[in-house]
Amino acid sequence: MQIRISEEMSMMEKLGILADAAKYDVSCASSGVDRKNNGSGIGNSAAGGICHSFSADGRCISLLKILFTNECIYDCKYCANRRTNDVPRASFTPDEICNLVIEFYRRNYIEGLFLSSGIINSPDYTMELIYQAICKLRNQYLFQGYIHVKCIPGTHPDIVQKLGLVVDRISVNLELPTAQGLSELAPNKHRKTILAPMRQIQQGIQQSKKELVAYRNAPSFVPGGQSTQMIIGATPENDYQIINVAENLYQKFQLKRVYYSAFVNTTEDSLLPALAGGPPLLREHRLYQADWLLRFYGFQAAELLSEEKPNFNILLDPKADWALRHLEKFPVEINRADYHTILRVPGIGTKSAERIVRARKSGALRFEDLKKIGVVLKRALYFITCSGKMMYNTRIEEDYITRNLLTVKERLPFDKDGITYKQLSLFDDVNFQPPEIMTRQLYDGQSVVLGQL
Amino acid sequence: MELYLICEDSLEGIFTGIYEAYVTKRPHDEVHIQVGEEENLRLFAEYRNITPDPAKAVKVARTIGQKFGGEAYMSICRALAAEDNSKGEAIYKMIAGGLSMKNPNDIMGNLADPYVLKVFELDRFSGRETHLLTGFIRFQELENGILYSRIGPKNNVLTFLMPHFADRFPMENFVIHDEKRGLYGLHPQKKKWYVVTEAEGFEFNPADHTYSEDEAIYSELFTMFFHTIAIEDRKNPKLHRNILPLRYREYMVEFK
Ligand code: SF4
Repeated sequence: MQIRISEEMSMMEKLGILADAAKYDVSCASSGVDRKNNGSGIGNSAAGGICHSFSADGRCISLLKILFTNECIYDCKYCANRRTNDVPRASFTPDEICNLVIEFYRRNYIEGLFLSSGIINSPDYTMELIYQAICKLRNQYLFQGYIHVKCIPGTHPDIVQKLGLVVDRISVNLELPTAQGLSELAPNKHRKTILAPMRQIQQGIQQSKKELVAYRNAPSFVPGGQSTQMIIGATPENDYQIINVAENLYQKFQLKRVYYSAFVNTTEDSLLPALAGGPPLLREHRLYQADWLLRFYGFQAAELLSEEKPNFNILLDPKADWALRHLEKFPVEINRADYHTILRVPGIGTKSAERIVRARKSGALRFEDLKKIGVVLKRALYFITCSGKMMYNTRIEEDYITRNLLTVKERLPFDKDGITYKQLSLFDDVNFQPPEIMTRQLYDGQSVVLGQL
Repeated sequence: MELYLICEDSLEGIFTGIYEAYVTKRPHDEVHIQVGEEENLRLFAEYRNITPDPAKAVKVARTIGQKFGGEAYMSICRALAAEDNSKGEAIYKMIAGGLSMKNPNDIMGNLADPYVLKVFELDRFSGRETHLLTGFIRFQELENGILYSRIGPKNNVLTFLMPHFADRFPMENFVIHDEKRGLYGLHPQKKKWYVVTEAEGFEFNPADHTYSEDEAIYSELFTMFFHTIAIEDRKNPKLHRNILPLRYREYMVEFK
């Protein structure tokens, strides 16, 4: 332990170390809690979430995302803070955290705090310290803004319980999509100790909602819900396994969000893949698109992928890919189809579908009306009719539509320059040069993944 | 002959114009609302200057609320904050059309109507900027503890920002200064917020004040934090410019 050193450090150095160590956690959302200020202290929370800045990689900065300490007794292979890695270590005191949060918040730099931590002594010892710090922030500094705390697997249920009453969101990171991946790369963590607090939080949330109905002043438990994160591309799971895990987390654990983090190799451990093309950003992007389809578009994982086709198409987004395999469901008549059917049309999102359903009440819509109300037709036009007519003389035929869809340049949230199609083909099973761990027959397909959930 | 009612660029001004348009009893397509000065006057048109009248404006506001509902009323208010000279006309014609609808309550859904669509777009335009600014605004602490923020938004969104920060910072004295319009939103600790204008003789020059000792410390800490959390392997300048336009960065400490 090198806590001695950290006490002599300047705030600038400490924050530098502890922000740098926290940056790979994807979640920075501050959404899901609508809380007005009670007329004293400082802070409130906006249900829609607020971005305060964007870092140079294009990610939203909403919360002060820091580690409590980057000391750690564990040795997760993918993590720069692992015990055996030689990095400068630092820890905050509770007052330092409180001051940073309040002073950043007053200047409107942040929406709140996202605190995670390495492990000092034990998960319980560390989480108890974190709990004390959060209590101080709430009760002494009177902070009513958003707080997200990451829970260390294996934390005692009593600590999880009391923590849940002072924070807005808790996340327990799944880290890797399968237990095998976990035991390879994070030998001190176990699937069970990750899922147990998840279950406890889920039940706590349900219980708290019931109590809030009964008595309005009952304290609310994790009102912002829980989220988790998986690292993508450090272990050989396919997309089908990953979205099945996600679907189960949504359905059986009622998670608010599952985050996918394209693996960035910071530790060069021999068990980790080298990733010559940089982090698998396109794959991460496809997973987010599919995740969106699961949460807001009424899709099921099994509709999007299968054992036979276990990975997403590199060239087409998952919805277009699905539509091309289900041409029998098209064309969709815009003036009659229900909302959910319209949602399945490539190129039509929730906003457009809502507008269509609303606008057609005042009269049948023509293609020019669709354009006017802001529906983008570039891709949708192959799949819809307005009062029985297609927009152009197009055919409902797979090859033909595929060719046309591919000419519409997809807008990707990362720079095309950074990732070429040659690199993209790394995601193809065929071309993938698996590192040692990936060639081993570890995975018993879907049953393994689902059995754990 | 076409009639142009020239209105002040404010909720009161435009609502008064709409009231006067109804008073003329002329067909709606012959009457137009014009916000601010006309650049190219039409030869065969009649122009009339409208003086804002709170009593008339309130009547229009009440009608909108009753016939179209609160949601549509808020959309109209946000559209009125948008920087666009055709907003008065769009709102007037939308109201005229909406009052003859079977279901005036669903007026904002009638997006196939060009005026409704225009109001809808203006609403989104200023609504989006309001939302962005709730995050992008930066306060600086002056030596007397007052938090001061400078903004230069495209749309007149100050009055939509104030309630958000007044709720968030009940114990703070803060000022949001729209330097493009000479407006100041003021919030004294534990009191209600209000807006004053330079035209009313209000002046607040931050140059008369020095910043607090802490100000430099925290703005440097945040700037360092901001740079530290970007992941090198994922840097993406093009995306960055799209989601955080340069015109906001001018006011943000981390880009200084
Ligand atoms: S527990 Fe693992 S992932 Fe967390 S800080 Fe320690 S080594 Fe890193």
